[in-house]
Amino acid sequence: METTPQTGLSLQHPMHDLEIVRNHIREGRFQRSLSLLTAFASLMSGLEVSYEHYRGSYSRRVMYTPVILSAVLFLAGIGSFFSKRVARTILRFVSAVTLVDSLIGFYFHVRGIKRKPGGWRLPMVNMIMGPPIFAPLLFGTSAYLGLIASYLRREDEALSLPRGTSNMPGKALSKTTERDLLSIEQDIREGRFQRQMAIATGISALMSGFEAFYSHYKNNFKYKAQWTPVILAPMLAAASFASVKNRKAAITVLPAISVLACADAAAGFYYHARGVLRRPGGRKHIFYNILYGPPIFAPLLFGAAGALGILASLLGRRRR
Amino acid sequence: MLGALQSIHVPMRKFKELEEVDYIIVGVGSAGGVLLQRLSRAGFNVVGLEAGPFWDTEHDWVSDEAGSHELYWEEPRVTGGSDPLALGANNCGKGVGGGSVHWAAFTPRLHPSDFEIYTRDGVGTDWPISYADIQPYYEQLELEMPVAGPAYYPWGHPHGYPYGPHPMGGAGNALVRGCSALNIPVSIGGPVAILSGSHGDRPHCIYRGFCIQGCKVGAKASTLITHVPDALSNGAEIRDYSMAARVSLGKNGRVNGVHYFGKDGKEHFQRAKAAIISGYAIETPRLLLNSACPGFENGLANSSGTVGRYLMAQAGTVVLGRFDQLVRVYKAPPAHALTEEFYETNPKNNFARGFAIQTVGPLPIAFGNQMVAAKKAWGWGLRREMMDYNHWASFGLLGEILPWPENRVTLDEEKDRFGLPIAHVSFNLHDNDHKLIKAATAKTIEVMRAAGAEEIAHEARYAHLVGGARMGSDPRASVVDKFGRSHDIPNLFICDGSIMPSQGSANPGLTIQSLAARTADYLISQGDRVFTSSDRDMTSPPIRRNLAPPDTWGKGVPRLT
Amino acid sequence: MTPEVPDTALLPIDPDSGEPIMPRMQPGYYSGFSTLSQKPFWDDATRKIVLERVEEQEPIRFFKPAQARFWTTVFDHLIPQTDRIAEHRIPILPALDKRLFLGRTVGYRFENMPHDRDVYLLGMDAIDQEAKQQFGGGFLSLPHLQQELVLKAIHDGKPKGAADIWKRMSVHRFWQQIMQDAIDAYYAHPWAWDEIGFGGPAYPRAYMRLERGEPEPWEVTEQRYAWVAPSHAASGESETTHEFHTEALQNRSRRKGI
Repeated sequence: METTPQTGLSLQHPMHDLEIVRNHIREGRFQRSLSLLTAFASLMSGLEVSYEHYRGSYSRRVMYTPVILSAVLFLAGIGSFFSKRVARTILRFVSAVTLVDSLIGFYFHVRGIKRKPGGWRLPMVNMIMGPPIFAPLLFGTSAYLGLIASYLRREDEALSLPRGTSNMPGKALSKTTERDLLSIEQDIREGRFQRQMAIATGISALMSGFEAFYSHYKNNFKYKAQWTPVILAPMLAAASFASVKNRKAAITVLPAISVLACADAAAGFYYHARGVLRRPGGRKHIFYNILYGPPIFAPLLFGAAGALGILASLLGRRRR
Repeated sequence: MLGALQSIHVPMRKFKELEEVDYIIVGVGSAGGVLLQRLSRAGFNVVGLEAGPFWDTEHDWVSDEAGSHELYWEEPRVTGGSDPLALGANNCGKGVGGGSVHWAAFTPRLHPSDFEIYTRDGVGTDWPISYADIQPYYEQLELEMPVAGPAYYPWGHPHGYPYGPHPMGGAGNALVRGCSALNIPVSIGGPVAILSGSHGDRPHCIYRGFCIQGCKVGAKASTLITHVPDALSNGAEIRDYSMAARVSLGKNGRVNGVHYFGKDGKEHFQRAKAAIISGYAIETPRLLLNSACPGFENGLANSSGTVGRYLMAQAGTVVLGRFDQLVRVYKAPPAHALTEEFYETNPKNNFARGFAIQTVGPLPIAFGNQMVAAKKAWGWGLRREMMDYNHWASFGLLGEILPWPENRVTLDEEKDRFGLPIAHVSFNLHDNDHKLIKAATAKTIEVMRAAGAEEIAHEARYAHLVGGARMGSDPRASVVDKFGRSHDIPNLFICDGSIMPSQGSANPGLTIQSLAARTADYLISQGDRVFTSSDRDMTSPPIRRNLAPPDTWGKGVPRLT
Repeated sequence: MTPEVPDTALLPIDPDSGEPIMPRMQPGYYSGFSTLSQKPFWDDATRKIVLERVEEQEPIRFFKPAQARFWTTVFDHLIPQTDRIAEHRIPILPALDKRLFLGRTVGYRFENMPHDRDVYLLGMDAIDQEAKQQFGGGFLSLPHLQQELVLKAIHDGKPKGAADIWKRMSVHRFWQQIMQDAIDAYYAHPWAWDEIGFGGPAYPRAYMRLERGEPEPWEVTEQRYAWVAPSHAASGESETTHEFHTEALQNRSRRKGI
């Protein structure tokens, strides 16, 4: 059977390919795919933050940083598909910077809510009408993916022992800490980071769910379907956190609910797009309606949490 | 306090009683505020006289329709003519910030055609400047307020805005639906001088709908919050509760100061090397007429006889539409969408010039008065209409009424509490005006119907007020030159809405503030010559962007055009 | 204290049953809505003046007692409140009296109008003369419906009497002014906001549901009920006309053909 050199997939026999992908993930050999996923996620995040910050009129120069970084991360992700070097250096660096940026963004969003009239004394109104509180952290998801990707092995790489030096800042730390960090790095490289990814999934699900909750509350849950992400998100979070302790949960409940979350995200995307087109002026004022209609990328972020959950369920666990 | 977060930190400088300042500005409103800021930043000693209070927005302003009447000019005036104008809350502000405190903050620009309507259409008069002269100031003030609006504004000279557009309320969505159904382009979310994102210490709009009652948030721009703080930190003084009584002319034919009634009720005199009158379309001509003296028996700077004349208001008919679905028009700023598709002269029409259609957002008392006018409602009929308040959306058209010499401000026999003759306003529509208003009303009703209204009513009224001391190049037919310097007196300037020779169908606020910045640049480039020489240098100054209030920079989106 | 027995001829009627609708605490389609309940979310300055409006009764200082009685009766026609229980009626005269006492105006006087205080003193005379001209008795002595018809003649711009008063005062501007004063007092009151579903003061807490007429969590959805004006009313109808394109025509003419 013919296989593509980079990924080892035939792209013609789905069942066989699926099996190969599973193995790759289990062995931590999916740097290329995860790089592409990172690129895709940062493209979506980048578009979202660009227009949302335009709504906020870029009133502070710092609001440009996630726009620029998501573009750079996108390019780094694409580059990492083709080059191991790029993956291990540029992707890692850009991802780290973007993660820091998302924390800075979270700080500014919280501060922004506080500075609205009434501040935190009017929590619902000011979260709904102010900057979306968890959006920057959710934006950081693509950077998290990129960071993980930078430590993986590539699809066509053989199982090999780790090299001497690592790029991690462990050099400045004590010997034991450095050994611990190296060990984590090895685990990632070998695909044994299920617990870590489950925690990331859980946190991401909670944040996404909260965003969905207050955004749908603005709409007064006019459509019953708007309750689904609010119900699924805590379920996904529960399954994720349970998977940290419980291996069985990681391979049963977690993937099941994650798939549901992905399906819900697809439905949400459809409803949001429909909502945008139904606004006054419809297609005639498409840009404005995207700006002020239901946020079209938001359901996809919930789907990203689901994707993380599926990925987590396929990983190995850390040796302990 | 000047809003939810902003406050003035510096103590205000106070000039001594007999000290001669460089400039005295009468009226610290839209124009006065900008002039005060620019001139003080450039290093001049400036005093601003304001008849109303220097507001503390937290304590003085209330989120209540009936409780906000102090924002308007409620001193007595008489209004007449065949089509008398309503004044007071309709178009006249009082207090620091003036009209920019109670405006709805629509800030479109005039079109290039507005500066030459006589050349193009044979009506009205041409301006002594062109759009190109004021364009850099439009761009500059749109940054300083700042103005929120669409990325591409197609009418007049197309341009974009530095702050993004606003969300829609009920009236805006009706306008968008109506225009979209009729394939009329519509500007969604602006242009308004209301923040759609925060700006330093000014939070963004919280969509409370009380714009006309003064913005307690600080999101809507008024010169009180955009320019006065910087003026104060540059050593300007504002004397509130100070009503100007008479501009004083010295023996050398130059102005030497202004007599005014202070907070203590007593008469004071402030000496100044030059005076700028920024009292707006009624008080500016009134002050000049009340300052008549030997040599100027018909009013100061009135050798042309045009002081008080060519007063203009725009037709401001409100079209109300009742919808089956609730609208709740009171949420969101009244100003949030408009179309200028019908602004320019259309040769197919039987009239010259045109109109704009905008959103308005009447609160209950305003709506009640509209129902009385539009549906002759009273008693149980009024109670019924009011119970349906939440079903009504409303558009306001702005129709370009032309300048006519008999539309004017004169002095009445009656005197106010200071003993000064009050203003008598006479307003009369002419043939072009009637035809334009009829057509504009019909078109606006058509849009409201296309929006889905099942019942439509309209209230004819007027909006805004400009003219009364118009600019021109001919001293026999105008009061000031293209920089606002009076033709008759070299150190007397007028800079406010009264100097506009025509009005277009645009809300005048942005134009007034832009003209003020331009006049300020001129005065600064002329330096001390203004105080000593009678020479009139007519070179246009370069725009001085570094004189903008410092927190203007570092915010907003780059413009497309 | 004996409770007021409502005169059913003055009550609005349910068109389906034909029965009069008994007075209630809060008429209007927003039953259960209370702007006053939201006062913790207002700012101090606003709360102070709104509560003063509700809780304090301004003394009558400009009008003499007979004049006060006269104008209170007139305002009962301009903005009738028989559908409200007596304890929940909105006072209209005190706000007007305060403004006239202080000499506060809207800042302009039409040239065909006297000063505000004279508007009310002359107006009282004119209405009384109209009452005598039409029905042979002073205004206050007439039954309710006839009082209404007297005022309707002025509303329509076709008064039959008091010709010399109407020479000194425009009948249309007079009507505009007294309606404006009535509206200014009634619809400034929180109970009226509740009646019409207006959100009331909105600072520092404002709105988050701006579109489609959606209610805030603390607002109430509309619950409409059918009603028609009382049998003894002449003010039930309003007319929409598109004839008048200028303000002068709109206020000069009250009916077609004038």
